Parts: sequence; C-alpha cells; structure tokens
Amino acid sequence: MSLTVESSAVYVQNTAPGFISTPGRAPTSVTVHPVALFSILDHYLRRTESQERVIGTLLGKRSDNGEVEVRSSFAVLHSETEEQVAVDMDYLKTMYDLHHKVNPKEVIVGWYSTGSNLNTYSALIHDFYSQEATPHQVVHLAVNTGVVEGEKACVKAYIGSPVGVYPKPENCVFVPIPCELRFNETERSGLDLLTTTATAPNSTTPHPVTDLEVLEQSLKSVADMLDRVLSYVQSVLAGEVKGDAVVGRYLMDTLGASTEDLEKKGFNSSLQDTLMVSYLASLVRSQAEVSARLALVTST
Amino acid sequence: MAAATSMAATIAASLPAPSTAPAPAAPTYEAIPASMSKVIDLEGEIPLQCVQLDGLVVSKIIKHSRDAQGSSAHGLVLGLDLDGTLEVSNSFPMPNHSPDDDDKSTKGIVRYQASMLRSLKDVQADDSIVGFYQAMMLGSFLNQTLVETQAIHQEKLRHGGVVIVHDLSQTARGNASFRAFRLTRAFLDALKRNNFSTSSLIDHRLTFSSILEELPVKVRTNALMGSFLQTLTEPSAPPVVGDHPSAATSTAALPPSFSTLNLGTASVSRNLEHIIEAVDAYKTEEGNLAYLHRQIAREKQKAEGYVTKRKEENAARVAQGLAPLPEEDVNRLFKIPPEPSRLESMLLLGRIDAYSKALAETSSTGLVKMYAAKTNSGV
Repeated sequence: MSLTVESSAVYVQNTAPGFISTPGRAPTSVTVHPVALFSILDHYLRRTESQERVIGTLLGKRSDNGEVEVRSSFAVLHSETEEQVAVDMDYLKTMYDLHHKVNPKEVIVGWYSTGSNLNTYSALIHDFYSQEATPHQVVHLAVNTGVVEGEKACVKAYIGSPVGVYPKPENCVFVPIPCELRFNETERSGLDLLTTTATAPNSTTPHPVTDLEVLEQSLKSVADMLDRVLSYVQSVLAGEVKGDAVVGRYLMDTLGASTEDLEKKGFNSSLQDTLMVSYLASLVRSQAEVSARLALVTST
Repeated sequence: MAAATSMAATIAASLPAPSTAPAPAAPTYEAIPASMSKVIDLEGEIPLQCVQLDGLVVSKIIKHSRDAQGSSAHGLVLGLDLDGTLEVSNSFPMPNHSPDDDDKSTKGIVRYQASMLRSLKDVQADDSIVGFYQAMMLGSFLNQTLVETQAIHQEKLRHGGVVIVHDLSQTARGNASFRAFRLTRAFLDALKRNNFSTSSLIDHRLTFSSILEELPVKVRTNALMGSFLQTLTEPSAPPVVGDHPSAATSTAALPPSFSTLNLGTASVSRNLEHIIEAVDAYKTEEGNLAYLHRQIAREKQKAEGYVTKRKEENAARVAQGLAPLPEEDVNRLFKIPPEPSRLESMLLLGRIDAYSKALAETSSTGLVKMYAAKTNSGV
C-alpha cells in the first residue's frame, strides 16, 4: 500500500535491514496510520490565512528493524517569515505531555509539514526535532494535500542527513525512504465508511446502517464483478476478444475453489446452529422485555 | 460505584458553567449575515435533530477504542451546533481513571482537559465540549458511569450534549458503528430525585428502553479528506503497460475489501458468554432486591403488630380508666429500610437486551451469508 507517487528514484540506504537496533540508527521505512494523516489534513484546513504551510509532530513507535510506525500526530504552532522561523516549544512540550498521559507508548518520531517544498527552514526544523528525539533519528513526512493544481496528493517520507565538511543545522540532505499506509484490519470498516461517504453526494451518509445493509452492498458488488467476468468470458468464447491466459488462470484459481466444506450435511448442521442461536437471542430479548414490564407492576 | 461517582464529579468540576447568553446582543448580530440569522441561535433554542460526525472524529474514536482494548476507552467530543445539527469536528481521548487514587488523579484530569482545550484553541480547532464518546463491545454500553456522566453533561452543556457510542466488535465485523444518545426527560427527572423505587418507575414509565433516546447520526468528510481518500482508493496506473491485470488493481493504497463476506462466526460464542454473564448478574441483583423487599415486609409486619398490640393495650387501659400509652414511638422502635433502587437491575436488563440484539443480528447475517455461499457453490 504505497502512498507515494510512482517515481524512478531509488531509495538509498546505507544499512542492510536486520541489524541490531542501535540508537541513532537511521530509520529504513515509515508506516503511517490514517488517523495521523487525517489530523494533518484537518490541521491544514484550519490554518490561518497567512500560513502557507502547517507543521506538527508525529507520534508513534520505533521497531528494531528500523521501521518507524507513525500512529498519531498533533499540530504545532509555528511562524515563518523571510528572516526567521519559530516553533512554539512550550506548546510542543505541553501537547506531548498530554498525549503521553493517554498513550504512553507513543513517542516523538518525527514531524510533518504540508506541501512538498523542502527548504532551509525545513532543515532547521528537522534539526530542532532531532534534538527532541535524541539519540534516535527523526523522520520528516511531507504531505502534499493536492490543492495546488497539477500536483497529486501524496505523502513522502525523508530522513535528514548532514552535509558539508562542517555540518551546520541549516544544511541537510533529505533522503527519501519508503512510506506506506498501515492500519489494523479491524479498523478497515471505518475507512470503508469514510470512502463511501467521500463519494456520496453532500459528502454525508446517514448512520447507523445495519449489518444486513452492509452485507447487501458487498454482495451486490460481488454480483457485479461476477457479471463483468461472465460477459468477458462470453466475449472470449464468442471470439470477439482474444483471451488472456493469465486472466483465465486467475479466474480458474478463484472460482474453482473447493466446496467440500459446504457438503450437504455440514451445511445443514451449521444452519441448525445458526437458527438455534437466532431463536435463543429473540427468546432472551422477549424475556428481558417481559421482566422490565413486570417490574412496573405492583402486587397490590 | 465509587469510581463512577468520582469520575462524574471530575467531569462536573471541569466543565465550564453554562454560558449565559452575552447581554449586548446588538453588535453580535451585525456580524451574522442575514442568511444565517435564522440558523444561528445564541440562546440554544433550536432543538437538536441529528448529530454529524466528521471523518477525523470517526477515525480517532476507532483508533482510541482499538488501542485501549480491554479497558473502556472514553473521551470528549468537540464541535458546534448549527440549525439543529450538532457538528462534531474533533475529539480527544481521556486518560484512564483509576479508582484508587481519587483526589489527585481527579485534579490531574481536570488539568489535562483544560490544558488540552487551550492547546486546541491555539491551532484554531473547535474547543467547545458537546459530549463524550465511549467504546463498547457487542452492542452493550449501559452502565452507571455512562448514565451519570451524561446526566451531568445534560445539565451543564448547552443543548445537553450527546454521548456517542462506538461498537468495537461490529466494526471488526466490517460495519463501523456509531450511535448517538441522550437521556430521556423522564429518566433525568427520576435521576435528579435519586428515586428508582417501583412507584417512581411506574410514575415515569421507565423501562430499560426508555432510559436513552437515540439521535440520528450522519458521517461527513470534508472536501480535502474526500479527495485524499479518492486518491488512496483509485488504482494508480500500472507501471508497465500490459502487466498482470490482477496486479494492476492491487496497487491502490486502499484496495476494496470484502471482509463482511467472511463466514466466520467466532464472535457468537463470546456473545453467548456475555449474555450468560449478564443474566447471572441480573439474577444476583434480583436476589438482592427480593431480600431487601422481604426485610422491608418483615419490618413492616413487626411495626404493625406492635401498633395493634399497643392499641389493644390502650383499649384495655382506657377500659380500666388509665391514661393510654403513646403510639408514636413505633417509628423510633422500628426502622423500615428505604425501598431499594432498581436502577442497577434496569441497566442490567438493558445490557442483556443489547447483547441478544447483537446476537440476533450476527445470526441473521450469518444465515444470509450461508445461503449466498450455498447458491454460489451450486450444492
């Protein structure tokens, strides 16, 4: 699940993965949780008129194999002018402490900024965050929100590397590292909800929906896909389209799945179990309802 | 129970007093354009019709609920109300409250909340509390803490505030579930008098289903997030032309998922266990209530016996021409215990009902899935 736009750039890494974790070791890859991304977008939406970009702190975990997991983010006040850049340190400390109280496992792993231009100020801020997270190295996430015409929304991750004979904080090479979207499988349905919302008119969807409705949607889309495959197969059979062997093999693997589990007896016993559970559920419900009503009846 | 009250007290202490409407209304109105003057109400007069959740809040609540699995996750939601719609635009988690060290942690939570609100205000985020959220498992969320917290909110917050509950297990099954609730007027009235005796329940017509009223929930994504999500879901162009067609679709950052079609019924047994536990708890609670009732009846009988005995004695004394003994001391001699509160048993019934409702839903979708699989396989 790559977040970046395809490019021909090769990720330069000077360490082979699998080394023992040492403080100060460069992160080799970044994974981003959707919450962190959405917080960044919300922050960008709420920027003041004078702000060209917004920055903030990334919280998450570091793992031994050099992978950095960004799990949440919060906005940080900063100001940029022609002459100087300022980051509100007190604000950052307060917010970090607050987040730390709720989720002690998440530590500062880097910082984000919107837009994809990396300049001297980026280097300065990167240096500042590096001091906050010593002895570990921090990552920088450049989030292109896609509002500038001609630029695609994407996320890029960098690590900073000092440059020059005498390293100075304002000089820094941002080395790109791979960046992926990662979330737990159980959170998937939340994202599905948001994607259906995004495509809906008005960008709103009524809620709550029952399980059955969600199931109906998936079944319908499966039926649609089967129809599409069927029409493709039929056109191949009719000789209108030249058949693709790869597609054929793929369909064979998918649709030729074994149905032994569904043999008559197994299905029936499972059906009985399910019906039993359903009966039990409605029995319990009606008992609870009766009990609640009976509580309102006095003996006199 | 002690923890419940202390947490409720914590929130009470940390909430701002209900803001009195600003007196000089004239300059404020100037700032409101004519088209908006009908939908903005300074006094909070337009009743809430529905709750609108921002995508950010949806994902934040899901993440927090998942991270804090086991212990219950709760936090505050922030936003604004506009023309009957409560727009929830942000949320933040609250640290878990341990019942042991009360006073210190209570103060800590108040400080945490105040400082978080201040910080959010600094970055132009909404900073007015409109309710709280609570994670739950298998559809059951009724408990004393929730009820008491919401009661305090309903008193202190403009429009009363809402509680948003999120079902973790349903989300794991492929249907992200958010529901918004408020306490009903009848229940609030009974709670204010702290009277949940049988007669009070009858007066207020309270059963477990009339504790809370549900508000419809809408989910909304802002344009920026919408476009970003579209970029994530749309398959990027295959790098090499004429590549494997199945590989071409999987390059999207968010490929389509069909986890709802999973036939597994793993949660059913856990659901059944929950029901059994809740029924057991209800049984115990009923036993306690019955015991208290018997005790009350016994005490009453004793008192009545004493009174009749004293009356007979007095009649005899009057017949003998002696002064009658006082009858008033019966209240002093026999203490009739107050009627027990039925709140806990009512909440337990609500939980049993919610669990079995979840079970019924699981089994009904299970049936559909089984038949779908059957017709597909052509057995």
